[in-house]
Order: sequence, then C-alpha cells, then structure tokens
Amino acid sequence: MDYEVVIGLETHIQLNTQTKIFCACKADSWNDAPNTNICPVCTGMPGVLPVLNRTVVEKGVLLAVAMNADTPPVSYFDRKNYFYPDLPKGFQISQFDCSLAKGGWLDLPMPATDKDPAYVRRVRIHKLHIEEDAGKTKNESVGGYSRRLIDFNRCGVPLVEMVTEPDLRSADEAAQYLTRLRQLLRWIGVSEADMEKAHLRCDANVSIRPVGADYLNTKTEIKNVNSIEAVRAAITKEVERQKAEYAAGRKIESWTLEWDEDSQSLKKMRSKETEADYRYFREPDLLPVYLSDAWKAEILAGFPELPLARRARFISAYGLPEYDADILTGERSLSDYFEQAIAAYGGDPKRASNWLLNDVMRLLNESGLTAGELKLTPAYLAKIIKLVDDGIINTNTGKSLLEKVNRSGQSPDEIVETEGLAKVSDDSALRAVAESIVAENPKEVESYKSGKVGLMGWFVGQLMRQMGGKADAPKARAIFEELLQ
Amino acid sequence: MKLHELTALEITQKIKARQVSAEEVLDAHLRRIEAVDGLPGRLDGDSSAEPSKVHAFITLTAERARAQARAVDEKLAAGQDLGPLAGVPVTVKDIFCVEDTPSTAASKILANFNAPYTATAVERMEAAGAVILGKVNLDEFTYGSSNESSAFQPAPRNPWDTSRVPGGSSGGSAASVAAYEAPLSLGTDTAGSIRQPAAFCGVVGMKPTYGRVSRYGLIAFGSSLDCPGPLSRTVADSALMLQTIAGADPRDATAVTVPVPDYVAELEKGVRGLKIGLSPEYFQITYLDAVTGKLETQPVPDVMKNAVLDAAQRLAAMGAEIVENVPMPHTRYGIPAYFVISRVEAASNLHRFDGVKYGYRAQAGITDLRSMYRRTRAEAFGPQPKLRILMGMYVSAAQYSEQYYNRALRVRSLLRRDFDEAFAKVDLLLTPTTPTSAFPIGGLYGDSVLMQYADQLTVPGNHAGVPGISIPAGLDADGLPIGIQFLGPDFSEDIILRASRAYEVATESESWRQAKPALAE
Repeated sequence: MDYEVVIGLETHIQLNTQTKIFCACKADSWNDAPNTNICPVCTGMPGVLPVLNRTVVEKGVLLAVAMNADTPPVSYFDRKNYFYPDLPKGFQISQFDCSLAKGGWLDLPMPATDKDPAYVRRVRIHKLHIEEDAGKTKNESVGGYSRRLIDFNRCGVPLVEMVTEPDLRSADEAAQYLTRLRQLLRWIGVSEADMEKAHLRCDANVSIRPVGADYLNTKTEIKNVNSIEAVRAAITKEVERQKAEYAAGRKIESWTLEWDEDSQSLKKMRSKETEADYRYFREPDLLPVYLSDAWKAEILAGFPELPLARRARFISAYGLPEYDADILTGERSLSDYFEQAIAAYGGDPKRASNWLLNDVMRLLNESGLTAGELKLTPAYLAKIIKLVDDGIINTNTGKSLLEKVNRSGQSPDEIVETEGLAKVSDDSALRAVAESIVAENPKEVESYKSGKVGLMGWFVGQLMRQMGGKADAPKARAIFEELLQ
Repeated sequence: MKLHELTALEITQKIKARQVSAEEVLDAHLRRIEAVDGLPGRLDGDSSAEPSKVHAFITLTAERARAQARAVDEKLAAGQDLGPLAGVPVTVKDIFCVEDTPSTAASKILANFNAPYTATAVERMEAAGAVILGKVNLDEFTYGSSNESSAFQPAPRNPWDTSRVPGGSSGGSAASVAAYEAPLSLGTDTAGSIRQPAAFCGVVGMKPTYGRVSRYGLIAFGSSLDCPGPLSRTVADSALMLQTIAGADPRDATAVTVPVPDYVAELEKGVRGLKIGLSPEYFQITYLDAVTGKLETQPVPDVMKNAVLDAAQRLAAMGAEIVENVPMPHTRYGIPAYFVISRVEAASNLHRFDGVKYGYRAQAGITDLRSMYRRTRAEAFGPQPKLRILMGMYVSAAQYSEQYYNRALRVRSLLRRDFDEAFAKVDLLLTPTTPTSAFPIGGLYGDSVLMQYADQLTVPGNHAGVPGISIPAGLDADGLPIGIQFLGPDFSEDIILRASRAYEVATESESWRQAKPALAE
C-alpha cells in the first residue's frame, strides 16, 4: 500500500532578550555554572511575583506578524499546573485560550528533485504563544541510587511555543520548515535560533495514512531532536517503522519516542494513555497584555521584507538563478549587502552575485563576520567590479584588491593609486619589456619561429612577471606576435 | 501614660521632640510582650498552654528591632530627617517574607524557611523608620477565621477574653495590637482576614483597594483577592501606616500607579455632605442549611445592627446624608464564589511547596519522586491546606471548571456590579463587620463552612476589589468588642478613613472607649 506521511512540528523558540521574561536575571546562561543566574522570582520563592518583560511581547509580535498570524488587541497569561522538580512554582506561566497570536502560515519553497518538480508547501500554524522556560534536570546515579540535579538557570527564559497543523508531508518538508524558520528567526532578530544551544527545539508528531485518506491515524511524538539533520533522520526512521508495523498487521500506539543521536535510533520513552489535565486558569499575578495599535505600530516600525519574499524578488527583479537567490537571502545582512552593492554598481546583477558568492562569501567564512560588518563595503565592492569591467585592473588584481580593501578599510581607488596597480596598456612601456625578453631568450625565439607557437603563453607570462601582473595581456600578446614574426 | 500605650503618631511625635528615645519605646513594648504574650507558637506546641496569655508571636526578632531602634536614635542625634514611622514598633503577620527571618506561614512545610528577601510593604515601613518586632501568628497559610489552624501552638488568644479566638486569619496581628504589644501590625485580607480579627479584638483594620499595596513578599493565598493592610488602635495610625506602604511597585504588576493621597492630612475633614448607604443585605446572613440543603436567612444580632444604626445617626448629626435600602442583591453569593475562586488559586499557589527547594521534606519511606512529593505534602500540610487543595483541584479540573470556576468568576462580576451601582448613589456603605463577636476557642473549628460565614459581610469587598475598614463600635453584653465596617469605591481610602475618624470623634466620650483588655501582667 502507498502511504502518505503526516507531520506536525512543535517548536520552542528561545527569544534573544537581555533579561528573563518575569525577572531581571539575564536571559542567556550558556556556559554559566548551574544555579548562578537565578533570583527569588525565577526560583519560585514563597511570595514572589512575576513582572512581564515587554520586549518578550514585542519579539513575539514580530514573529507572529512574520508568520502571517493575527495579533488580537488583548491576550492573557495562564497557569499550566503540574509538578516537576525543575518547575519551581509547580506551574508554568504560559498562554492558553487567548494567546498573543491567532492563525498564521509559512509557504515553504520545495526545490525540484530527480522525481518531482519544485513546489510550494503551505504550513498552517495551529498555535503561537509566549511562555517561560523551566529549568534543567540531570539524572545521575551515585552508589546505586539515582538522583536528580536541578539547574534553575533556564527558569524564566522567554520562549515562543509554535505548533504547526499536521500539514507537512515528508521528512524533507519538516527539515525545510525548520531551515526556513531558523532563517526567519534570525532575519527578524528575535532568536539566535541555534539548535545545538537549544534556542530552537523541536518535537515532531508523525503518522502515516493511505494515500488519498482524509483521516488522521494514531501519531507518535519524537522528542529530543537537536538538529535539522536529526529531525530528518528521526522522521525517516519513524516512517519506516510505522510502515513496517502496518505491513505486519499491527497497530501504531501513541508513544513518545526519543531520538538517540549516537546510535541514530528511536527509543520509546513512555506510552501516552491519557492527556494530562493542567488545570489552566488565568494568571492572577499578571495583567492582560493590551497590544494597542500604537504599540504594535512601534514594534513593526522598520519591519523588514521577509526572506522568502526577497528571494522571489531577487529572481524576478534581478534575473538571478534560484541558487544565487537562495544563498543571497540566506541571511539578512548578506542580502542587504547585495542590494546595496548592485545599487552602487549599476551593472549586471548576476555579475555582482558571482563576485559575492565566490569572493565575498569566502571573506565571510574566513572571518566569521556578517556581511554588514566587513570593511569591504558594498560600495567598495561595486567599485572593484567596475575597475575590472573598465579594464583599469585585471580580474586577478581585482580579487587581491578585495582582500586589501577588507584588511585596511581603504578605498579601492586609493590602493590602486598608491600601489600602482592599474593595468599597463602603454604601448611603449610594454614594447620595451617585450624587446628585452626577445633579446635575452634567443633559444625560445628560435623554437617559436620554427613553429612552436605554443610558446606565446610563455612570452606573455615572462612579461607579466616582470611587470608585476599589471600588464594588459591582450596588448602584450599583440606586441610579441609582431616582434616574433 | 505608659509608653506601650502610645499610638504610633504619638510615638513619632515624642521621638522627634526628643521626649523619648526609640530604644526606650522598644524596651517598653518588649517588656509588655514579655508580660502578656507568653510562649510563642511553635511546631507541636501545646495548644492549651498558658491559657491567660495572648500568644501573638511566632518569632520575636528583638535584636533586629534593637538595631533598627538604635539607628533611629542615631539619626536623630546626627540631626538627620526621620521617616514617618520613626521608632514605631510594628508586628508583621508571618505570611510576609522578611530577609534572614523565619517566614513560616504558620505551616510545618515552611517552619525551617528563612526568607532570602523582604516583602515590599515591610521594606517600606523599615525605610520609614519602623522597628519590626517580629512575626505574629495566623491561620496556616491564612486559611481560617480563628487562628486555631496554625501549626504553631499555642495559637493567639483574644486579649479581651483569652478563652475566645482573636479572629483570623490576621489574629496575631489584631491580638498584638489590642494587647498593646505594638501600636501597628501588618496583616492581609483575602475575605475579611484583617477586618474580622480587628472587629473581634476591638481594633481598627483596613483592607485597601486591591493593588493599592504591593503583594510582593506576601506568601499568596488567593492572588486575585489578597490585600496587605494595617491594623492599629486608632484610625489615624492606620492612615499613617497605609500612607507608608501604599503605592506602585516595580516588583508587583498588579500594584497600581494611582497616586497615594495624604491620608493623615485628610483625616479631620469630617463627613459633611457624604452620602452613606445602609444595605438590607448586610443586616442578615444567608446560608445553606447543612442538613436540609435549604437556603436560610438569619438577621444579624441586634447588638450588631444597633451599632451600625447608632453610627449612622451620629454621622448624620455631623452632616452626612444617610441613604437607606441600598440594594446589594448578590451579597449572599460572595461566600460560594469565594470558596471556588480562592481555592483554585490556593491549590495552584501551594504547588511550589513540594520538598524540592526549601521547607520541609519527608525523610522516611521515599522510594521515588512521587512518593517524596506525596509524603512531604501529607506530613507537612495541615487539614486546611489539604481541604483547599482538594477542592481547588476539583473545581479547576478540565471537566468541572466551566461549572464551578468560570461560573464563580461570573458571579464575581455580579458582585462587582452591586458595588458599582451602589457607589453611583452613595459615597460609602456602612455595615456590621461580622455577624457575631469573638467565638470561643474550639467552638467552630473543624466546621470550615460555618466558620466562613464569619466572612459573609467582608468577602464581597474582596471580590470587588474595593476598600473597607473595620473600626471598634462598642462592646456586647459579654464585654466583647464589636466592629462596624465602611466600604467605599476603588481608591476611596481617604474618604473611608475620614468617616472612620469622624465616628471616633463622635464616640470619644463613650465609656467603652476607655475600656481595655484586662490582661494579667
């Protein structure tokens, strides 16, 4: 039987605010010793109260708008009650029925493969809300007894929980969703979205059904997938398992599975018998969040063109291939750089794209900087390409000039001027050097004249070396051809 | 006049005039505590020990108080400005966190908890020069109206008759003030927990508007209902204390930014032109008969009703306009709605007491995490927290929350509407505070439903969030204090205090004003 894969993803996104959601502790505890970034509020001491960090709302609204969701004028916080040692209050402050955002979707561009043409998958958002993170529990065994160690540093770190509808149809689509989500989060500046650092966490709900069916079969939930590749691999494995189960006439049970990165396999964590009752009710310690039109306008001032829209525009407006457009919009600073460079350049965008993809990308990779941080500004890059186009310098000089400009921050013109890099196309200067080469190398002249015309490259190369690479090569060739007749 | 009988205002005046030092004032109060308070409450203490003592305290922090008193005296000697509560001894209900001080909530589960920070209201009093004497007893986690449910025994007794309860849950606060152990105490009021013990102990107790005083550092009961507030022997002292503790707090999102008026300066402005309402619903108690399940109505005793009518007459004589028959039709739903809302919030607020981070943790019979939770909570919560957890969990469960919790929230809106409509017609309501005077120890304990009717006339104010006060209004035939209550619209504390002060003036020469609890020293 042919099966269709049905996937929904639940993501937790750590917002990159300075401080935690309800207290003044710093939000990021990466590399901090356990329980060093805590206070009475985030450790749930008796009598403490939460006070909302407005930046969390602002970043949540940015994401909601970027996901094409509605943002109601008022939303509420609710308590989600459950016991766990790393949840110090015994409830998580979250949002339940009236959350920051309603609806939303993301259109995923799926590239063509050997089997299928390119297509777009629309993924609808089931819910999007803000909440606080819990702490971390580490289980260890000491002398035959197991014990739990709790680190509260992460308590109160602001999160957006975003859950898709079961709209994804393959492991590739799931991976593409995460890739595009990560790109979007960084683009709008709400999260570092580093999966290895758990800034972006993903649980995948997976089921399969006969092609053409419109019902949903029992799903399993895969937890602890910490990279996009792991999500792809885990889903692929789980789909294979489910197919095998059905083929063997068995049923899929509603398990929670854990992905083991080392063995690249899924392990059963628990059976889900009943839904937990979290006894949600409105958080009485926080006021409703009133998102006024004025506040929303302030949040959205300077809202950027989003990566997928920009990608489409690069293709249509600049005639770039999809490949170029994808890379150039991979990161916001690079795409801004590209647009500024082609505005300054005025020539063929594809030519500017080539320079960027080959040479500027290498500078970025080597330095670890973003495009906007380079000393090689878009205007300087444009100038260098023009110098090459106009025959003032040759391509190789252009490429080394790129690095010199980026090292010094000096303008390309200045460097060309002070280092005398301009191409020598003065006939008499070239002729003088060519004549001396011909005079000093009688053997090569002899060979050439006897028919080894391939030596022309050697003659031009000699001249180039003597002139520090600045010679106009076609002109030099013409002079040699004349001298060696 | 003995130093411990001075009011807070008198103390600040005498200290500023250098007639007495803060340390002398402190010593006088410490001697008084030594003389009348007896054993402090402690875990597994004998509830019947020293039956003629007050037992207001759980933790006396005499050294801390002495350091604070000396700091006041040194400031004065150095010619520095003194705060508005300079040298005034204050007791604090042991539901507030005070840094490096046991903060027990009168529960075994927090018996070993030393708070790492200080509650905003306490911090503000300390900044104003107050001398914090220590922590006074209460019903466990404030869950009660008698103080008998405290895990720290002996529980406070009523200074007017030590065979009777002081009321609750701010019983230690009311008893300490009535027994002249301190002129001021910081209490909390979730359904009447300041006003009812104030009435029982013959002192002034004010529940401010919800949000008027920060809740930061108050170990929460019903978060949407809890209000910190003052208890004192005079209206002026409550005004002085409220002045100090009120106002916005960056650590409490529900503390409002409405400016705090000068309550003391407003006090003597009288009641001329004020419209004061009387409501028939506040002269009766409506309850479900436990056996028949029928709704029953009982008038409040004549002594309560007459105290209110007498007060109305005196205020009318001072220029107030009395408006009778102000309808408050939803009053009788106050308690059932309170039972649901407060218990949902309480059950959730008690989640954090799980043996993991602080407080009591069971030691024996632990096999896994679940058994640690279960045993810890089973061993360290008393019957009141357990009852409230059970009910709170039940009525907020997914399949019942619409029927109970959400319905109670709608009832709460109706109660609020009663007040909105009343305060469109009158400035204040004048009512009895309680349907009875202080009841005997052991009399009602264990029957928590009936005990809660002590709150029927106070709890609507908590639902609505409006301010209220209980002030002494005489003694009943048993020589026990009775209280009358003013309720006003949001942020009308200044008007409530003015009216209360006017009544105090009007009754100045009454013989009961001179009566004091007869405590053997």
